[in-house]
Formats: sequence, structure tokens, C-alpha cells
Amino acid sequence: MSVDFILFYAFAVMAIGSALLLVSIRNTARALFLLFIVLFAMAGLYLFALADFVAITQILVYVGGVLILLIFAFMLSNKSLLSDIHTVSHRLTALPNLPSFLLASVFLAILLFALSSWNNNMPEWMAAAEADGSLIQPTENNIRMLGFKFMTQYVLPFEIISIFLMMALIGAAHISRKGERP
Amino acid sequence: MISITHFLIVSAIIFCIGVYAILAKRNAIMILVGIELMINASILNFVAFARYDSVNYGGQVFALFAIVLAAAAVAVGLAIILNVYRHYKTIDPKNINELKD
Amino acid sequence: MNELSPISPSVASLLVVLLPFLACVVQALLGRKSISGNISLIAIVSSALLSFFAVFLPVWGNSPMAERITWFTIGQTSFEVGLLLNNLTVLMQLIVCVVAVPVHIYSRYYMKGDSGIHRYWMYLSLFCFAMLGLSISINLLQLYVFWELVGFASYLMIGFWFTRDAAVQANKKAFLINRIGDLGFLIGIALVYSHVGTLDIVALFDQTGRFVQGLTETGGLQVVQKDNTWVTLAGLAFFLGAMAKSAQFPLHVWLPDAMEGPTSVSSLIHAATMVAAGVFLLCTVFPLFNATSLLVITAIGTITALSGAVFALAQYDIKKILAFSTISQLGFMIVGVGIGAWDTALFHLATHAFFKCLLFLAAGAVIHEMAHFKAQTNLDFDPQDIRNMGGLRRYMPKTYVCMSIAALALAGFPLTSGYLSKDSIVVSAYEWASTAGGFYFVIPVTLIIVSLLTAFYIGRLIFKTFFGSFAMQSSVTAHNRPHEAPAGMWWPMSVLSICCFFPVFGLHPLAYHQTWIIQTFHARPGFTEQETAHLIIPIVLTVGTLLALLLGWFWYVKNRYPISQQNRWIRFANRQGYLNEFNELVFIKGTVGLSRLLYAFDRHVVDGATKLFTWTTQQLARLIHWFDANIVDGIVNWIANGTYYMGHLVRQVQNGQLQNYLGFALTIVILGILYLIIK
Repeated sequence: MSVDFILFYAFAVMAIGSALLLVSIRNTARALFLLFIVLFAMAGLYLFALADFVAITQILVYVGGVLILLIFAFMLSNKSLLSDIHTVSHRLTALPNLPSFLLASVFLAILLFALSSWNNNMPEWMAAAEADGSLIQPTENNIRMLGFKFMTQYVLPFEIISIFLMMALIGAAHISRKGERP
Repeated sequence: MISITHFLIVSAIIFCIGVYAILAKRNAIMILVGIELMINASILNFVAFARYDSVNYGGQVFALFAIVLAAAAVAVGLAIILNVYRHYKTIDPKNINELKD
Repeated sequence: MNELSPISPSVASLLVVLLPFLACVVQALLGRKSISGNISLIAIVSSALLSFFAVFLPVWGNSPMAERITWFTIGQTSFEVGLLLNNLTVLMQLIVCVVAVPVHIYSRYYMKGDSGIHRYWMYLSLFCFAMLGLSISINLLQLYVFWELVGFASYLMIGFWFTRDAAVQANKKAFLINRIGDLGFLIGIALVYSHVGTLDIVALFDQTGRFVQGLTETGGLQVVQKDNTWVTLAGLAFFLGAMAKSAQFPLHVWLPDAMEGPTSVSSLIHAATMVAAGVFLLCTVFPLFNATSLLVITAIGTITALSGAVFALAQYDIKKILAFSTISQLGFMIVGVGIGAWDTALFHLATHAFFKCLLFLAAGAVIHEMAHFKAQTNLDFDPQDIRNMGGLRRYMPKTYVCMSIAALALAGFPLTSGYLSKDSIVVSAYEWASTAGGFYFVIPVTLIIVSLLTAFYIGRLIFKTFFGSFAMQSSVTAHNRPHEAPAGMWWPMSVLSICCFFPVFGLHPLAYHQTWIIQTFHARPGFTEQETAHLIIPIVLTVGTLLALLLGWFWYVKNRYPISQQNRWIRFANRQGYLNEFNELVFIKGTVGLSRLLYAFDRHVVDGATKLFTWTTQQLARLIHWFDANIVDGIVNWIANGTYYMGHLVRQVQNGQLQNYLGFALTIVILGILYLIIK
């Protein structure tokens, strides 16, 4: 049992536990902070998948942008309307939540079943990559490779995404603008 | 080296928790949170599979795309939620059952 | 044929029958407008003349004549109706006609002023038609039809004064009892037809017929064995018919009550003719009887003769005395048939018809005058009760003479017709008994006693009515007193009284063998004649009659009446041997009880079953209703409700909840994946 595994399991347990707590907790504000923990744990898990740039981006974008946005949105909304929401039970297996819980559990079971059956016959390209040893290595310069790829092979999607992001932000700003809408 | 199965299992669990949040929560913000969880689970999948693609780096590139899209989605979603709240005085999706304004 | 008549006897006899019928129809059509009775009178007089000159004289003593036409056909069998003219039938027809004529004349005066007289004439003609038709019927079925018609006419006549309750009860009684006899007759007809195959009187009972006594073999014809049980039964059945019609014990009870009818009718129907129809029937079917049935007939006849005479002794109603006398004399005739000497029976029938008719007419005259006297003096008494009479010979001498002659004839006094006929029966009975021997002597001895009783009761009637002092003497005044009957009433009586003497029937005053009726029929009964009996019995009878009359004279005229009126035997006889009470108790109460029982049965068992059935049906209907409401309708409702709830259930899906939509979508995805996995 290496340190890798311990850390991985620690991050995994943190992510899963926080997520469970997140969906079962009553207070929205606390939930949002739990989401913060989940996102951090997920970023840690990305590191174990040798995607350090993605992990950094996750922290930057989510924690620095999305989460702040959520908290602000939560704080902007009326506090009184949140009180009636409290009356609803947030226990996972509470009667109103039971159908949702069952659905989610069944879906999880199906996914795990699919995983277990898939494990024995991996796709060809994965098997080939594993065979010739062309896996991403922890020693490789990940960021450099990504930069190359963005500017060469994936330049069109990159540009589309950037325009899309701009459009979304403008649209969001437009939608949330006060007053002029009927 | 941690095998891909571990990632996939964790990803599946997080995804299902996200599904539950979407289905069960009585708060539009929490639904949005559920969506983020699901996106994160899928990003985990992307990066896990990306290890086997050292040539194209497709997994990591699209993971980054997904993060950006998620951010955009959250921005637009929150804007919509605020508008809805302004209109209905509630963000409980149970009470938001009319398409007309 | 005979030179005396320009038309054939058959046509003439048909006319004899049809003329009264026409009179009846015309009377019925005229209704209240016709009260004189001239139509009926003309019809019956024509019938009488035709019957005597065109039918009786040519046929009497000659060979029989028969005319037949087919009545109806059933399958292979044809029924015929027709006329049978032989000695028996033409004699019967003549007697009916000859007795009917004086009664018609008498009725004109007796019934004068009655409100229903138009009905009276109609009924009288109807009766004459039926009786004349009965006498010449050739077929037993035809005979039966007329037999019923006679009974019906009798019924109408007894109930003529239908406003009187007694009359209604009497005609009901007569009708019911006659039904018993008619049933017997019908059974007899059925038995004969089923065994012999024909009802033709000639074919059955003629000289060459199937039933002629002593005939052992006749060509190809099947000979009837007379010792068969069915022959006995048939004989008894016919005799039952005759018993009811001729008022034989114990079916005689209707006849005394039948005196509720007009007296003239009583004389014609219930004394002279209709009651003799039974005797006539027995004479007609005489060859049918075998030894057993003849013995029964004799026994019943004897009992009837005795009981009638005994009951007559203590009656006070003048008509009831005569009614019981009739019963007694009919018993004589039946005995005559029973011992095989049916010619003597027929002879007695003829003589009896005249003198009994006369007795009734005379009694009617007395009643008529008594009622007249009652109406004048406003006294309240029964005009028919002989205790209210007495000494009437001073007021109505002609009636007295006529009635005395008839009474002497009834008592069997020498020189009268009754002497001849009654002696003939008694002597024959004695000869029959001496042939049979032993115990059978009871019959002639009883008959002799009955003859003496007859003399006594008729003497009592005459003495109480015409001798002594009038019971209502105190009310008699110069203006208000009984007087002689009108001429229209006593002329017929005097004609009939002539017929009560021997020359009408035979030239020899004492020997019945020389009368023309006996000579013509001359039945040959199976017993030997005894000269001594011919000598002794008439002497015994005559002396006994005289003694009885003398006794009556002393008792009733000289008022030396030795017996208390409350004597048990007198009461027994007066109440007719309590037969009516017995019938009331046994038959009427029994029938009523049986009816009650049947009513209860009907009420509880039959109705109960019906109610049970109804209840069951109702329950079944209820069950079906329940089934219909709950099962059939239930299925329909269940389908409807099921559809409704399904819709209600599915409706929940489309509730506008995004989360629900998502959940359903996910569910479908899961199901799809599960399908793929399982497949």
C-alpha cells in the first residue's frame, strides 16, 4: 500500500462523503461550502489521473468562479423564501425522496454492473496503448503538450469555445439585468 | 499506479449523487449543484481515459472544454434562476410549472 | 198400412213429437202476449188424435216399424236417430198424449191469472215434446238426450214459482238427484256401446237382437253372454238411471219436494208420465237384465213400495200423500219388471197414469178452492193441509166423486182398472216366488201388505178431506164458502175418471189376462201360472182393502183415533223416515266438509306451492338482479373505473414538474438498459 493509494482513497472518500452530505444537508449555504470541498477533492483526483493542468483549472474556474457565483446568487435571493424549503425533509430515504433515491441507486447499480462486465475487454485503442507503453507518464510536461494541442490540433474547438463562453456570459448578464424586462 | 477502474467507480458514485440531487432537491440552486457534480464526474472520466491517449491528449483537452462549458452553464443557469425567482418569488421547481409568463 | 189413416205412422208419430215442440217455440217467441194456452192445447190435442188414429191403431199388434237417418259419423261409426214404432213405444206415446190433453184443459183454469202463465205453457209444451220424443227413440243415445230434456223440463216446472225458496230448493234437489241417475244411464250406454258396438234399440233388444232372452245362437251374430259381470253392471247402471227418474228408494227424496210445482204439473209430470219413464226404460232394455240385476231391481222395488206407503200414512200435505203414493206405485211397477213380468208393469203404468193423474187433478181442485176460500176469508192456514179440510163433499160433490173413483182404483177395488193391474203384479210376484221358493215369498207378502196400506192411506185422505166436519166451519158464511171447481177443471177430471174403470182396458172385470195390453205384450216370464193364486190373492186383497177402508172410516170419520200424533212411528213416517235428514247429514254435510277440506288444501298446499314458487322466483330474480347490478354492471364499471384510474395515474406524469419528467426519462433509460443487459 503506497502513499498514492492512501491519498487517492482519501480524496475519493472525501469527494463521495462530501457529496453525500451535500445532498442530504438541509442548509443551502452549508451545501454550497460542501460543494467547495467536493470540487477540491475532485481536483485532487484529477492529479492522480496525471491531469495536473485540468486540476488547476478546476480549482481556478470552479472555486474561483462558479462557486463564488453560486454563493452570490444564493445570497442575492430572498432569505424568506428559503425558509419554506426547510420544511421538506432532506433525508435520503425520506418518503418524498424515495423514488429519486431508488432511481439513483438503480442507475448506480447498472453502471457498476456495466463496469464489472467491461473490465475484462477494454477497447482496442486502450489495449494497444497499454501494450506499446504509450501511456502518459508522470514525468511528461503536460501543460506544454496541452498548449501545443490547443494551438494546433484543437484550435477550432478552442476558438468556438471561447466565443461560446463570451456569448454565454453576455447572455447571462443580459438575462439577469433588472428593470427593462416586463 | 491507480487503475482506471477506481476512477470509474468514484466517477459513477459522484454521477449518481448528482442525479439524485437533480431529482430530489427542492431548490433550483441545488439542482444546479447536482449538474456540476455530474459534470465533474464526467470530467473525472475524461482525465482517467486521457492517460491512454498520449498522442492526441483528447481527454484532457475536452476536460478543459467541459470545465469552461460548465462555467458558462452555471452563469446562464444562475441568471435564469434569478429571473425565475423574480417572476415567481420562488425557486422551488415544484411551483414552477407554467410556461407562460 | 192401415186404411184408417191417410199418412204413414212414421210421419204421424214424427208430427206427434214435433207439434208440441212447435207450440213451445211459438210460445217462447210470443212471450207475454200469449197467455191463453190455446197454442199448446191445439198442439197436444192434434198430437193426441194423430197418436191414436194414425200411429197407435195401425201399429198396435202389428210388426214394428223403424225409420233411421244418420245423425253423425265418427270415423267408421255412424250414429243414427230415428223412430221406433212398436207396441211398447206407441202405447207409451198414446198414454202421454191422452193424459196430457186433460191436464192442458185443466191447466187453463187452474193457472188462470198467474203472472208467469206464458212460461207455463212453454214449459208444458217442451215437456210434452221431450216425453213424446223419448217414447219413440230408436237409439239409446237419442233416448238419453230426450231423457235429459225431460229432466230439464221437470226442473223448470218444479221451480216454476221461483220466487219461493222452497221451490228453488226443490228443483235444485230434483236436478241433483236426477244427475246421479243420468250418470248411471250414461255409464250403462257406455258399457253397452263398448261391448256390443251399437246403441240401436232394435239391434240390441228386438226379437233377433243381441240380448233377447234364451237366445243361444243366431247365425253369424255374436251372442252376448248374459252372466258376464259387465252385463250385470250395465243392467244396474240402467236401473240407477231408472231409480232416479222413477223415484226409487233411496233416490226418491226429490219427488215429495217436487210437489212445490203447480199441481197440474205434478199430475202430468210427477205422477203420470215422467216418473214412468224409468219403468219405460227398464221395459225397453229388459233383455239386458240378467238374474242378478233383476233380483236387485225386485228388492229395490219392494223396499220402495213399502217405504212409500209407510211414509204416505203420516203425511198431512195432500200432495205429499199423493207423491208418496206415486213412489209406492212406482215400486210396484219396478217389482213387476224385476220379476220378469214387465207386461204387468207396463199395464200398471198405464192404469196408474190415469188414476194418479186424476187424483192429483182432484187434489188440485181442492187446493184451488181452499186457497180461494182462504183469500176470501183472510184466514191464515195452509190450503194443502188435510187437517184444515173435512166435509168438503157437501161443497164440491163432483170433485168428491171423481176423487173417490180414483182412490178406489188406487186401492185396487174390483171393477176398477187398478184392481186389474195391481192384481196382475201381485199375482205374478206370488207365482215368481213360488217358483223360486223359500225366502222369496217376502216379496209378494210385502206387496200385499203395501196394498192394504195403500187402501188405508188413500182412505184416510178421502175421509179427512171430504167426510166429517169442515175444520173452518166457523168462518163459512153464505157468501164465503168453498164451492165446486169450475167446469173447465172438473170436465177433464170426469173424463179421466171414466178411464179408471175396467172397460177401457179389458172387457172382463176381474181377469187381467184378458186386458188388451197384457194380451198384446204377453211377456213370458220363467215361472208357472197358478190358478189358486189367481183366485185367492184378489179375494185377500179385496177383503183386506175393505177392512182397511172400514178401519179408516172408524178412525177418521167417527173420530175414534186411537194413536197419539206424537207417536214415534208416526213421526218417523211423517218425517219420511228421516231420509232427508240423513242425506243432509251424510251427503250435504259430508260434501261441505270435503269442500272445506279441499278448500283448506287448496288454500294451504296449492296456494302455498304457488306462493313458494312465487317466492322462489322472486328470490331468483333478486339474485339475478344482484348479479346484474354487481357482476355485469360491476365489470362495466370496473373497466370504466380501471380506465379512469389508469388515466388518473398516467395523468400524474404530465404534471409540469421538470424533475418528474427527468425522473421518468431516467426510468425509461434504466429500463432500456436493463432490457439490453438481460437480452
